[in-house]
Amino acid sequence: MFDLFLQFVVNGLVNGTFYALSALGLTLIFGLMRLVNFAHGEFYMIGGLLGWVVTQKLSMDFFSGLVVVVAVMAAFGWLLDRYVIVRIRDKGPEPGILLTIGLAIFLTNTALMLVGTAPQKVLAPVPSTPLLLGPIIITEVRLFAIAVSIAAIVGARLLIQKTKLGKAMRATFQDATAASLVGINTASIYASTFALGSALAATSGMLLGSIYVAQASIGGLISLKAFVVVILGGMGNFAGAILGGLILGVAEALWGGYVQTGTVDMVGFALVILILFFRPYGLFSVRAERA
Amino acid sequence: MRMTVLALSVVASAAAMTAHAADTIRIGVIQPLTGSVAYNGAADVNGSKIAVKERNAKGGVLGKQVELVVEDGECQPSKTVNAAEKLIQQDKVPVISGAFCSSATIAAMSVAAKYKVPLLSGVSSKSDLTERGNEWFFRSAETDGLLARAFAKILVDQLHLKKIAYIGVNDDWGRGGMNEFSKQIEAMGGETAMKLYFDHGTTDFYTMLTRVRAAKPDGVFVAAETQDGSILVKQMKEVNLQSKVFGVGSWATADFVKLAGDAAQGIHAAVPYAYTIDRPENKKFVAAYKTEYGELPGKYSAAGYNALNIIMDAIERAGSADPDKIRQAMAKTDYHGPNGSFKFDAKHQAYGFDAVLVRLNDGKPEIVAQATVTDDK
Repeated sequence: MFDLFLQFVVNGLVNGTFYALSALGLTLIFGLMRLVNFAHGEFYMIGGLLGWVVTQKLSMDFFSGLVVVVAVMAAFGWLLDRYVIVRIRDKGPEPGILLTIGLAIFLTNTALMLVGTAPQKVLAPVPSTPLLLGPIIITEVRLFAIAVSIAAIVGARLLIQKTKLGKAMRATFQDATAASLVGINTASIYASTFALGSALAATSGMLLGSIYVAQASIGGLISLKAFVVVILGGMGNFAGAILGGLILGVAEALWGGYVQTGTVDMVGFALVILILFFRPYGLFSVRAERA
Repeated sequence: MRMTVLALSVVASAAAMTAHAADTIRIGVIQPLTGSVAYNGAADVNGSKIAVKERNAKGGVLGKQVELVVEDGECQPSKTVNAAEKLIQQDKVPVISGAFCSSATIAAMSVAAKYKVPLLSGVSSKSDLTERGNEWFFRSAETDGLLARAFAKILVDQLHLKKIAYIGVNDDWGRGGMNEFSKQIEAMGGETAMKLYFDHGTTDFYTMLTRVRAAKPDGVFVAAETQDGSILVKQMKEVNLQSKVFGVGSWATADFVKLAGDAAQGIHAAVPYAYTIDRPENKKFVAAYKTEYGELPGKYSAAGYNALNIIMDAIERAGSADPDKIRQAMAKTDYHGPNGSFKFDAKHQAYGFDAVLVRLNDGKPEIVAQATVTDDK
């Protein structure tokens, strides 16, 4: 009985790590830019499909493929910000919401047109053979994915906290005028942030595409789950997103394990409703009001 | 001079357009082209296109070319109703093929009855669709009940499946299939270990499979489509589940094997169609499909192909593209397709066609047992 419980918790933690990774780009763009990106799931989807192209069609190995995908998506995010997002900057939240929803529809249908509806596979660098750790079963590819997820999360965190670029990002979003007065090129900072968010979404898309499948119409589902995670952790809260992801993963696994499997998707949204009632700024938010 | 040429060409093209509209018979198709079963919906549309192409090459129906108007129903009742309304009101189609998911088809059935336009589903298999007394609805697909009755005995006796865990997608089709199979198998002396549901588009089945593994069943019944099903069987292997797997849905297809890889080996599927069925009509269809799309047809490609042929036969017999005449002619269907012959009973449920139990071996669906879907009496 206890073995079963352990297995459920491990399943939940694995999934939770994936949820955290796939929500990271969303919370980053929101936290720094105050832009709610409804096209987040579509960036994830493009990452997955590009991952399929580079590993299967161009037969590159996973890591060189990942470098290519990240570079392409970062460039895509950069250009998108410089030429599209810039037009709705400082115009309040509504234009941003409309723009990104429109972008989501456009990207999904473009992907459907180019690659069609067929689900595709990203070639993983490690096999998916089961590993027995005591009573618990996990596969090598999942352990690998968790390692990459942690590396990506830590990497993004260090980039924002420790580098000059990260400092400039935080300065710009605290006060854009003051930042430009001290010589920061704010336009390029905005674009870099959006590029970073896009690259993170694409990384998770490619990584999880190697475990599940990459598919043109998957974006909506990913966005939904990512929003649950971000609301749980507090919009824009980096550590909150990670904890939010883990909580969602474990809650779903336990609900599915002991209550009912058909209603797991309800768990996340029930949590969101409770959070909005009792802690409207997220579980881990310290400030009651945002600037 | 230039202006005259331009004006002439405008007039000519306008004339060509009206001539075009009068010379074609439009048939509506509603399938999911986005969402988690999009891939299967697209296969149905591909099969439908082959049927129309073949017929048009032979001169069309009633001397006119046939034109398909395809709408995306997303497998959702609300979108499917919109699609049906659009096809009937705006495109003025006299007959519709669709929809895919049983829940969506139920919604479209009421629209068909409201406007008195026949609706033929080649896919939706929930048993009670033809029990609703809707005279505008026809079904050229097997029902879960018919498939379950055809194969329950074989599953229990030949595959020695006594204790069975059921996993199905959480919609009318999945729940219907699970209920029919569990009822029939229990009647044969089988035991139900558990019934678990998942939603369309689910990617992680570990929790569910952990529960199944703990129950140690002999067999696992799965009602799922290509995407969900391929991920599910892969993860079964990952969690080291040793039970025999059998199921309904789009299993015996080349794409399922491509996605599931080694995990597809040894899986049993009860399907109305497999490209390995040995009939001359099927060989012709497989060859045509392969030339057109470069891949082998699956269950849904055949479903679309059959549905459109039945519709076009009915229009031919009706002698005009009038919805009510098509309905009357369709009730008298006697069509020979790649998987046998199709006739409709009084409730407009098709019978007479094959159902096969296949086992995937090296990616090929080998036929283990064959049965004819009989009149539901």
